[in-house]
Amino acid sequence: MDITSEDIGLVARVDGLSKSYGSGSTTVTALDDVSVGIRQGEFTAIMGPSGSGKSTLMHIMAGLDSASGGRVWIGDTDITDLDDTELTMIRRRRVGFVFQSFNLVPTLDIRGNIMLPFELDGRVPSAVEDRWIDELVLSLGLAPRLGHRPHELSGGQQQRVAVARALGSRPDLIFADEPTGNLDSRTSREVLSLLATASSTYGQSIAMVTHEPIAASFADRIIFLADGRIVDDRGRSTASDISQYMLTMERAV
Amino acid sequence: MNTFSVREHIPSILVATLASAFGVSLLQVTANLSILVAADDVAGSSATVQVILSIIALVFIVIATFVGAIVTSNTFATIIAGRTRRIALMRLIGATARSQRRAVAGEGLMVGIIGAIAGLVLGTVATVSLILIATNTGSIPSLAYTYLEPIVLIPMGGVLLTTWLASWVGSRRVLTVSPMQATGAALEESREEAAGHRGRNVSAVILFALGTLMLLGGVVVGLVSPIGVLIGVVGGVLSFSGLILGSQLVMPPTLRLVGRMLGSSPSAKLAAENAVRYPERSSRTTIGLVIGVTLVTMFAVATGSFQQLVDAARAEQPQTYEGIDQVLIVTVVIFSILIGFSALIAAVGMVNNLSLSVLQRTRELGLLRALGFTARQLTAMIRAESAQLVIASILVGFVLGIGYGWAGAQSLFGSMSGSPGVIPPVVPLWLLGAVVIVAAMLTVAASVVPARRATRIAPVVALNVD
Repeated sequence: MDITSEDIGLVARVDGLSKSYGSGSTTVTALDDVSVGIRQGEFTAIMGPSGSGKSTLMHIMAGLDSASGGRVWIGDTDITDLDDTELTMIRRRRVGFVFQSFNLVPTLDIRGNIMLPFELDGRVPSAVEDRWIDELVLSLGLAPRLGHRPHELSGGQQQRVAVARALGSRPDLIFADEPTGNLDSRTSREVLSLLATASSTYGQSIAMVTHEPIAASFADRIIFLADGRIVDDRGRSTASDISQYMLTMERAV
Repeated sequence: MNTFSVREHIPSILVATLASAFGVSLLQVTANLSILVAADDVAGSSATVQVILSIIALVFIVIATFVGAIVTSNTFATIIAGRTRRIALMRLIGATARSQRRAVAGEGLMVGIIGAIAGLVLGTVATVSLILIATNTGSIPSLAYTYLEPIVLIPMGGVLLTTWLASWVGSRRVLTVSPMQATGAALEESREEAAGHRGRNVSAVILFALGTLMLLGGVVVGLVSPIGVLIGVVGGVLSFSGLILGSQLVMPPTLRLVGRMLGSSPSAKLAAENAVRYPERSSRTTIGLVIGVTLVTMFAVATGSFQQLVDAARAEQPQTYEGIDQVLIVTVVIFSILIGFSALIAAVGMVNNLSLSVLQRTRELGLLRALGFTARQLTAMIRAESAQLVIASILVGFVLGIGYGWAGAQSLFGSMSGSPGVIPPVVPLWLLGAVVIVAAMLTVAASVVPARRATRIAPVVALNVD
């Protein structure tokens, strides 16, 4: 894929990325020469069967893991060779996260969890940011829950708090790793529409790893991975089209 | 069946070994002291000396064993909390809760046996070396010193039984593990419920109130007769037992208070919350150190206050109080070392608990790293947690020790001739210095290993832990 011409408008990019674990005869290749960019303001789904390397790709793009080969950028910053502290700063200031489970710090109340990115950065939110967070809390229906601890909330509510935290500091990019993996289908839809709205209404760039066709159908763009390589890159699709494609992919393997 | 893992039980074995070695060595030393006394004293008095020395030694052994038992039961409770998944799986495939608990108690028995025997070896080596050094430097004459008297079986048996019992008490939570917890669907964190201890709390408060009243009564009676100290001792034992029983009423608020003093950085804030996350667990973790600090402070303040009384009385009647200063200093030093040993056992428990709590928080620490906590902030957080536990224990122990020490000195010596009556408690400067140094050392020592463990957690690995 030719990325250079699209450089402008990419919030994250990998070039010739490879990742392998172990050494010698036990080497496992998780990613093999992957080049792809995540576009500004888009909701991108990264799909693939288990073991396709989709989570590894996300971890490396988000500065959670290191590459074995190739280069990684967040915005215009080359993060490939950054040390642990520098990577931590990148994650803290420019990336938001929503995980499948265990997103929240159990000892902090909901407000504390949402404000955590600011706390970690040692700064007080500006008036604009304050208003933005108030708006998020209100629209996510979390206002009456601010003083509660995470364990007092349902799974869906906890996930909404995680989304609020990720959106709160308006990061360059939000990475969502199977955000609906632990939710029932109704709550899943809620969380997915939330992410889609954040992207369409506020221009938030989001990259979501998932293996569920329904989840991927909420995205503007879907990147398919299989055996550590990108096998398809397409625009918005229906859940049934995505399922169909995945079935053919399975048969081809 | 659970297999016995030495690695997992190293801290408990260490605690049992220390307690057993302390007891064995202390009894060997007292036995040999009476041999020494018999050699250059009037025949016949040595038997009495041995009895008195042995009784004093046994008191210290009981304290050390008691602290060791608290530490061990706490360690077992923490290990069980970390094993919930495994126990649930065993329950799922048909093991009964009782058999699971019995298996844990079996591990406790093993720990007790290993600790008691290792303590015998270690304690005997310590005594032999001590006596060899003393005879070689000519401090004491070479006599037929004995080491393996049957009396050493008392501390060994005591340690074995209390360790076993402690593992049984600490494994109570096994009974509450449901087979459902083996499936991923269960809650991430099963919280230790703090409720349901009404009866215990009420008796703790009653004991403490009653004991404090008797203590004050002892002080009042002490103004006219040294008999006051007997009332005071009973009062002290009662109120202190009440305090230990009700530690979960005292320690969490103190921990919160200390936590607030640590500042408002994100590391400090999170640490403050972590230290009171499981109020029961942190109470048990800290109470051992509280006991040690209380006793050391008590003796230091009692002798300090006594010194004050002596100084005042000496001005009136110089000849009555000759040569007493030396005796006082020696007494304080010996007692501090003997009690300091219990504090050491408590410290082992504290280090271990912090380590285990870091292991059990792998995912949470990984989440913090992912969200932007630097390795340095994580270290600061663990250190702050450690500081909070140490400072809170020392604070409580210090306050209690001053109270008990003062009451002891007043009730015993308030009526001696030439005494000025009631004096304020005297806190020796060296004690303040020692407390600050010990607190700093313990804070760092307790956090080194857990902090290293915590910073080694890669954010990705943490997020993949089941």
